[in-house]
Amino acid sequence: MKADSTVDAGVSVVDTAVHPYPRDPDEIREYMRAPLSKLRFPGLDGYFYPPPKDENRADSALDGTAGADPDLARRQLFADTGVDCAILLPVTRGLLPDVDMASELCSATNEWLAARWLAGDDRFYGSIRINPADPTRAIAEMDRWADHPKMVQVAVPLQAHHPYGQRMYRPIWERAAHHGLPVAVHADSLGGNEFWPTSVGYPIYYVEYAAQYPINYVVHLMSLIAEGVFEDIENLVFVFADGGIDMLFPLLWRFDSDWRALRSVTPWVKRQPLTYLRDHVRFCSHRLEGPSDANDYARWIGEIDAEHLLMYSSNYPGVSFQPADAFAAVPPALRQRVLATNALQTYRRLREFD
Amino acid sequence: MAERRVCRVEDLPPGEMKIVPGGRWGIGLFNRGGSVYALNNYCPHAGAPVCRGPVTGTTASESSYDSRWVREGDILRCPWHGWEFDISTGQSVAEPVRRVKTYPVKIVEGWIVIEG
Repeated sequence: MKADSTVDAGVSVVDTAVHPYPRDPDEIREYMRAPLSKLRFPGLDGYFYPPPKDENRADSALDGTAGADPDLARRQLFADTGVDCAILLPVTRGLLPDVDMASELCSATNEWLAARWLAGDDRFYGSIRINPADPTRAIAEMDRWADHPKMVQVAVPLQAHHPYGQRMYRPIWERAAHHGLPVAVHADSLGGNEFWPTSVGYPIYYVEYAAQYPINYVVHLMSLIAEGVFEDIENLVFVFADGGIDMLFPLLWRFDSDWRALRSVTPWVKRQPLTYLRDHVRFCSHRLEGPSDANDYARWIGEIDAEHLLMYSSNYPGVSFQPADAFAAVPPALRQRVLATNALQTYRRLREFD
Repeated sequence: MAERRVCRVEDLPPGEMKIVPGGRWGIGLFNRGGSVYALNNYCPHAGAPVCRGPVTGTTASESSYDSRWVREGDILRCPWHGWEFDISTGQSVAEPVRRVKTYPVKIVEGWIVIEG
């Protein structure tokens, strides 16, 4: 991505991950086509480990469903939190065994998002949900939305049956790059045939699951690098929307070290793996815990290359909600990049926002 | 550095490597098709006796999953961690480039002469 210092004039906070929810499954069903619309499908509360307490902010609910009220979200984000514009990333159903149902739910979710959320406020931007298990339909779905002025990225589940660098996905990523759409990876609700949450068995408690599950993004990232995806698709960008940037560097140091010894096995990987990040990878900021001391925190986010890689996200309405003032102690130039500039450079369509 | 006669040409046949005294770790002489190269026997990565590693080729690629075997005999692979170095320059194949120290070589009156 090309640096451009002129794009951030007038915008102070871009929220890169907000999760809108339907009030109930029928709100999505309304946008599905028969006959799939006549069938049952899983709800959005399927997880390996149901959160033992509230998953979402109790003050964000409409009719008992958090994050389901555009007006309330607008007030809580734009008025209370000081966000200028927000990228909406609705969750879908993870890895449904029925790929046609999974794709239909993606299409319906896109229709629903555009009608119920994007049409109502210029400050809401959207994500095109696609089902990577069906590349042909995923590409068709992208093509259907690519010219929509409010759709700024493609979104896929963190859950997968094959890491995202593998060759069956290549046409999807090529198409996303062709449209100038970054690909956001985010933990989805579960559809039923996901793999175990860890490769050594099931932890007992939700707190273990919640802490370690997002680290699976590293598997996708290393796969994308090792299979040469970033070499072959020059303007492809992946956004890891569950955070995790602070877990990344020790793992990539190891990857770099082994790559130097084994480079000849994957000669299409021309560069030291770590050096692909600035051109091809971004991270959303929620769940960036870091050191608890404010000064240590400011130093820490400098060391993880937040200047180039990190984009503010609230994760609204989740209970891990992160207000923009979480970065208050960060030096102003870096804060500006995290809160707005990095997002404006990543999402070209946001630049039309004023 | 002074020039030194370190080895008779006939004692280093093509394809062979020989360690001669020099520096702290010795200097490896390589005869690649009649051209002689002298490399410090010390890997810049972790200090391995790099010249004891196998002489081999490497791979080149135009795009994902394309791998061609190239430069057979031009590459020295460190015996410890497998880093690849170009024998003629001492430079690592992988970037960022790290370098095994090299010494200028001359042939004088049937002797291999190095500076260092």
